[in-house]
Formats: sequence, C-alpha cells, structure tokens
Amino acid sequence: MLAGLHKAFGPTRIIQGVDLEVLPGERHAVIGPNGAGKSTLFHLVSGRLSLDAGRVSLGGEDITGLPPHAIFNRGLARSFQVTSLFPKLSVFENLRAGAMRGHGCGHAFWRALDGYGPLRARAEDVLHQVGLERRRDVLAGNLAYAEQRALEIGVTIAGGASCILLDEPTAGMSRAETERAVQLIRAVSVGRTLVMIEHDLGVVFELADRISVLAEGRVIATGVPDAVRANPAVRTAYLGAAAEALHG
Amino acid sequence: MEQFLLILLNGAVYGLLLFMLSSGLTLIYGMMGVLNLAHASFYMLGAFLAYTISVRIGFWPALVVAPLLVGVLGALVERWGLRAVHKHGHVAELLFTFGLAFIIGEVVPLVWGRTPVPYKVPSSLDWPLFQIAGNAYPAYRLFMMAVALAMFVALFATLARTRLGLVVRAALTHPDMVGMLGHDVPRVFTLVFGAGCALAGLAGVIAGNAFTTEPGMARALGAIVFAVVVMGGLGSLWGALVASLLIGFVQTASIALDLPLGAALARVGVAVPLDWLSDLWKVSIARVAPVVPYALLILVLALRPRGLMGTRSA
Amino acid sequence: MTVRPTPGLVWRAAVPWMLAGLLAVALPYVLTSGFALSLLCRMAIAIVFALSFNMLLGQGGMLDFGHAVFLGFGGFAALHAMKFADAGVWLPAPLLPVVGALGGLAAALLAGWVATKRAGTAFAMITLGVAELAVAGVLLFPGVFGGEEGVSADRSAGPALLGYDFGSQSQAYAVIAAWAWAAALLMWVYTRTPLGRLANAVRDNPERVSFLGYDPARIRFRVFALSGLFAGLAGGLAALNDEIATSSNMGPEASGAVLLMTFIGGIGLFWGPVVGAVLITLLSVALGTVTDAWQLYSGLLFVAVVVWAPGGIAGVLSAHGPVLRAGRVGRLVPSYAVAAPGLALAVLGVVGLAELAFRLQAVRNGAQPRPVFGFVADPLAWGPWALAVALFVAGALWLRWAAPRARAAWQAAVQS
Repeated sequence: MLAGLHKAFGPTRIIQGVDLEVLPGERHAVIGPNGAGKSTLFHLVSGRLSLDAGRVSLGGEDITGLPPHAIFNRGLARSFQVTSLFPKLSVFENLRAGAMRGHGCGHAFWRALDGYGPLRARAEDVLHQVGLERRRDVLAGNLAYAEQRALEIGVTIAGGASCILLDEPTAGMSRAETERAVQLIRAVSVGRTLVMIEHDLGVVFELADRISVLAEGRVIATGVPDAVRANPAVRTAYLGAAAEALHG
Repeated sequence: MEQFLLILLNGAVYGLLLFMLSSGLTLIYGMMGVLNLAHASFYMLGAFLAYTISVRIGFWPALVVAPLLVGVLGALVERWGLRAVHKHGHVAELLFTFGLAFIIGEVVPLVWGRTPVPYKVPSSLDWPLFQIAGNAYPAYRLFMMAVALAMFVALFATLARTRLGLVVRAALTHPDMVGMLGHDVPRVFTLVFGAGCALAGLAGVIAGNAFTTEPGMARALGAIVFAVVVMGGLGSLWGALVASLLIGFVQTASIALDLPLGAALARVGVAVPLDWLSDLWKVSIARVAPVVPYALLILVLALRPRGLMGTRSA
Repeated sequence: MTVRPTPGLVWRAAVPWMLAGLLAVALPYVLTSGFALSLLCRMAIAIVFALSFNMLLGQGGMLDFGHAVFLGFGGFAALHAMKFADAGVWLPAPLLPVVGALGGLAAALLAGWVATKRAGTAFAMITLGVAELAVAGVLLFPGVFGGEEGVSADRSAGPALLGYDFGSQSQAYAVIAAWAWAAALLMWVYTRTPLGRLANAVRDNPERVSFLGYDPARIRFRVFALSGLFAGLAGGLAALNDEIATSSNMGPEASGAVLLMTFIGGIGLFWGPVVGAVLITLLSVALGTVTDAWQLYSGLLFVAVVVWAPGGIAGVLSAHGPVLRAGRVGRLVPSYAVAAPGLALAVLGVVGLAELAFRLQAVRNGAQPRPVFGFVADPLAWGPWALAVALFVAGALWLRWAAPRARAAWQAAVQS
C-alpha cells in the first residue's frame, strides 16, 4: 500500500522511507512514540500533505499526489486527531454530510436533500451505530467531548469507504468511554480495511489484527500483535515497560 | 530626460507615502491576522487633525501631535473594539474594521464639512527648490521624502534593536507562536495597532497639504494600499516597500504620459484594429492606470498568494 | 424507516410563504400613495439583494465586498434588453429581470472563477479588487455602459402583456413583488438542497469537506454563481423600477450598503436579511429626510451589532423564541425595563452629538440654527454639547450595570 514515503519540513525529515502494506479487510494499528511521524503519515496518505518522494496505492490504484476529495472518492476516508466537525450543523446533518458523496449526491441545487431517501436512511443508521440518537438535532459544536469523538468516527464511516484511517480515536477519553469506542470501532470496521493510530496499547492489542511500529520516521516492525510484542527492537525502541506490564 | 527625472522624483514621493501606510498595515496583518480596512481612514484623520492643529498652533506641533492622537485613537479602537470581536474570528474582525472605516468616513464630513479644507503647506517650506521640465519643484516634496525616509529608518531600527521589535519580527515569521513568547501579547497587539495607525496618521499629516485634504481621500487611497500589501506579500515589510515604490512609479508615469491607449500601443509598435472595442483604444492611459493595481491585486491573490516577497499566503 | 418528511412539516414551512404572499398582495391596497408604492418596490429589491448576499456571507462563509457588481451588471443587462424591447423585440417588461439575472450570473462566473479559489480574508480582498475594477472598468466603455450618466430606457415602451404596459408604479410593483417573492422562495428552497447544505459545511470547516469527497473551491464557485444570479435578478428589478442603470449603483458604497443591511438583520437565519432590508430601507427613508447623519447612524448600528449581537436582529429575536414558547416572557420584563432607559440615554447622547456636529457645520457656513428633532439647540454654546456627552456617559454607565443583569435574566429564562 505504501512504498518508500519521504517527507521533510525544511531540514527536519519526519518520514524517512516508510514502506507499509495493509491487507484488505484487516484492522491495522500504527503505534510509536510521540514525534514518530504517525499523524504525518496519515496526512501523506490522505492527501492533506504532499509527498516529497514515494508512492501511495489503494487497492492497486496509484493515488499519489491526488487531492483529498479525489482520494476519498476512491474509497479512503479518515478521521482527525483534533476533532474536525461542522460545529454549526446538527449531529444528523454532520452524518448526512459524511454520507452524501457515497450516495450519489453531487452539487445539485435543483433537488431537495430530504428527497434522497437512501441517504437519509444511511445517516439515521450511522446515528444509531454511534449511539447519538438522542442528540440527533443538537449542534455538533454543543456536544460533549466524547460525543464529538464518536461523531467524528460516524462522519468518517458514513460515506461507506472501503478503507478507513482513524487518528487516535480514543484520545482523551475515560475508561468507560474508551470501552464504548472500542465496541464502536469493532462494529464499524466489519467488512472494511481499518488503519488506526492509537496510543492506548490496551485498545491496540484488543482490536488490531496486525501492528506496525513507527519510530523516527521508519517502520521498525510489522506483524501480528504477539510477534510485535516479542520483537526485541520494538521493546527497546518503544514498548519497554508498557509491554512488560501487558505480559504481567 | 528632465520629464523622466520628474516622474522618478514624484513617483518616489508617492511610493514612499504609500509605504508609510502599507508598512503599518502589513505589520498589523502580519502580527494579528487582521486586515485593517480602516487603515486609510486613519490616514485621513491624520490630515484633518493636522489641519485643525496647524491653524491653531502651527504646522510643526501638528507634525508631532496629530500622529500621536491618531495612534492613541488606534490603540483605543484595538483595546475596546477589535479585542471584543476577536473571539468571533477573522471575518468578524474584518467586518468591524469595515464598519469603523464607514463611521470615520461619515464623522469626518460631519466635523470638517464635505468640501476640501484649506490645509496649507507651511510657509517655511513653501518655496521652489529647483526648476525641472519647465516646472518649479517644491521644497515640500523633498521634506516629505525626508520624513518618510526618517520614519523608515526609525521603523527598521525599532524592529532590529528593541525587545518589542524582536517580538514583532518573531510574530511575523511564526504567527502561531506569538502566544508562546512569554510576552503580554494583547498589549503588544494594542501597541502595534496604535503604532501602525500613527504611521498612517503621519502620512496624512505630510500628504494632506501637498495634495488635498477632503473626505474622499481615504476611499481614494485605501484600495490602492491593500493592493500594495497584497502584492508585496502580506507581512513582508521589504515586499511592501518594493510594491509601494513600484505602484508609485507606475501610477505617476501613467498620469504623466497622457496618451490614448490605442496611440500608446501604436507607438510601441502594436497595431490595434481601431473599430474593434473602439471605446477602449480611445481611453487615455491616465484613466486605465487606476485600474492596474486592482487587476494586479486580483491576479496576485489568485495565482501567487504569497505576493512578490512574502513567505506566507493570505 | 420512513424517509418522507411528514405532511405537517411541509405545511408549517409553507405558511410563512403564503402569509408573505398575501401581505405583498394586500399592501398596495392599504398604502396607495405613489411614494409608499415606490418604497415597497425598493424594499422588495433590497430583500432579494440582501438574501443573495447572505447566500455567500451567512450560508457560505464568504465575505463579498463587491456584491453590487452583480446587481450592477444585472441592471445593465436588463436595461439593454429594455432598449431592445423599445426597438421592437418582443420582450415584455416582466421578463426583463430574467435578463438581469443572466447578466449577474455571467459577471459572477467570471469573478467567481478567480475569487472562489480562495477563502476567508483573501477571498474578501479579491472581491474588493473586483468591485474597484468593475466600476473603473465600466467607465472605460461609455458606448456600452453610458459613462457617468449610465443607460436609461422606458419600461412601458416594450410590448404589452395581457393589455398591461407596466408603465404605472402599481403595475411595476406587481411585477417586482411577484419576482421578489419567487426569488426569495427559490433561495429558501436552495438552502434545502445538497449544494445549499454543502455551502454550510464549507463555511464551518472546508478542510473536512475535502475529506468527504468534495472540492471546497468548486462548492464555493457554484454558490457564488447562484448568488450572482439572484443579485443580477435584483439588479433587473431595480432597472425595471428606476429605468436607469449607472456605474455608481455597482460601486463599493452599494456593496457596503448591502453588507450593512444584511448583517444588521442577521446572517445566521434565512429571514434575517429580510428584516435588515425592510428595516434599513424604511429607516433610510424615514430618517434620511430628517437628518443628514443617517449614514452615520447605520454605520454605528452596524458596528454595535458586530460587537454586541453578531447574530443581528434576527439572532436576538430567535434567542427569545424558547422563552416565548415556554411562556416565560414575563420574567424578562423587569430586568429589560431596567436596562431600556440606559440604552435610550446612550442613543440620545450619540444622536445629540452627531446632530450638534452637523448643525455646527451648517452654522459655520452661515445657516440659521434649525431644530433637531423638534429641539432648538445652539451648537455654538457649550451647554448642548455638555448635555449630549452627559446623556451618553450616563447611558453607557447605566448599561454597564444593567446589561449583564438582563442577560442573566434571559439565560435563567432559557434554562429553567
């Protein structure tokens, strides 16, 4: 999926030759210490930042250098680490905006939005899935933090993209909220490819089919959770005490 | 040749005058992200205040007092107006300065009348310096240039040598980092806004008597100054200087070379079919010239948002 | 899962439109004077223009400093069409606004192609440039745009339709009101379409829109073009009403005027610009004849709204909707009544100062002191000035004390 990615900001080289393959239908977690370049990697893949070198392909199609909306239309959706919603639109409107492109909604100004039946149904479905039915008509800007995070995931998946990137979906959540978010991610990732950046290793080991470890702009290990856990390079570079704790 | 020298001299005066406005505007924009649409209104206030002061106690006190008054007014506006709307975002700030320009544009004729006021060049500077191209060149023009250059030197010295200057320069290059400099940022904003307005006021003081002091003067100059800062690259002082001088020369030259467009094109070897768009070719260059800065403004913003010398886009 | 809106909702939405239509039909029977009719025509035109402006500012987050350009080109297009009609082409007067709309659309396609590549402050500055360029540019082609005098024609010289020649003010009103109603309805319908909703999304968060499969610049471009279409329609209506189009109609002052009325009315709600257009048009006529400082007052009102009530009049009114529905207005009355005199004093002080300044001008130029709203005050004496300042200061202090209490009372009424 990714081959030889490079990105530098001025003299600072953030991503130095990342090769990473995500298999169709798997849940893949990207972990690594702060400043490893995880978010930058997502920005490069989703078209927010332009690449200095390397190629990105999605299901065999080259998407390198495409603008974000073109990448979305080829089936890749993403969420943001810093919640990025439409604060003055209602929860339902946010979800509907997320689903519009996937339901054949162009830029029409001659047709009522309410007339797109399947679109409405899809938004209602996702509304139930993220558990915000009772907040349907509240403005997104007025939601509590955890609700906004859930909506962030909802908006991302509403379009029905086959490949989803989630950037720290559980950041800043309480234990109970994290628990609910894990259930949500598990439910929405059925039948899709999911790549997530996550700091909470409990969440990572619970959800991920495979894990890649990013450090100093390189992938230092990729594999199933147990293999990564046992990898000595990973232990020294990053996991260390946290992995010990997990082993008990 | 003398004609050319005269254009060069007048262009430099006009360009430096533009820079007195564009430097303050670009500093304010660079630091605060606010495009002060009322900037030329402060220039106008400077001219009218200088007129009132100069008829009471003379030109020289006005040269000092009027810019100070304008600066204080600017600081008050920032402290009690702009800061209140800051939380509503840039569009609200833009709307606020637009409303301010509107109000100043209405208050000035209310206080000073709708016709030009007789703001005169002081007699001590009202003599011909030398003869050029059959015209007497007024000494006051040289004085204007001197004031502009002095301001220019003082501005760069402040930026280069003082702690405040350091903060301002840091903010220009890294606008999102201003908050982390450990300085009282709101106070720096008030100071910069006030100083920028004072510079515009000073420009009004020295230009009001050389040209005319009338309620339309802000309107006439305002849009040109925006064109200048955009062309120079928002937040870049050097860019503002280069663009100011460029526009100054171009505007002055085009007014001096008052030919119909078609004839001018013919002179440089471009033959135009005179029946096609016949209106256009009969128009003199002097009438087309005012359009040029706006066309450049639009093109620069659309195609090269960083301007001539800027590092950031608008 | 039901996907059809319930019939009740459709009816609820239709009622205000039917009422507005009835009002438009009934008003000329009540206000029969020619003056009132022409005022109503002005209002209808201002409503269409302000609504088209708010398609950009309130709904799309685009601050357009050159919106009158599209009104202007619409006017010129309609007037040239009127001239063709005068010359014998079959184009009855009620169809002229369509030509105006096409003129506005054409201008907006051109300007929007450049401007909508950017957003925020850069967009606003480009439109500023467009406004200056358009006015200066139009004067370069006196053959087409008539130079300083503009283009004029006779609306009644065209072909008659069903026996009407639309020469009289009442017949012109019928055409203008009908078009204004239809245009407003279309602009409301637009807010419920995919493009209308995408415009809201682009206003709130353009980056997220691009990660949901849409190009924000393309959305802005389409919205801009549609807005120009309706502004052009307003220009066509104005051309029909005035029978003249000049370059000054499309200048920065005209663009500033629509910004003022739209924002004062309120950009957050669809009907906000309607309130602003009606109010400002009324006030400009009512106050414009009494005082020369009217423009200053509208500017002060605008800044007051920007600073203290960014939602405009409509925003303030709708903030009281929940209180009204809960029947708790009574709780607001005491604290509002306490604040009201403060507001009155402050306004009186400002008005006094402005009027005195104006009288001073007049007296200096040799005129006799005239009464200000019925009072004769000598602007050369210091007494009236001191009184005005005292009124303003007293009012401001009063408001500083009373306004937070009124706000708290409102908050309590909304929450309980």
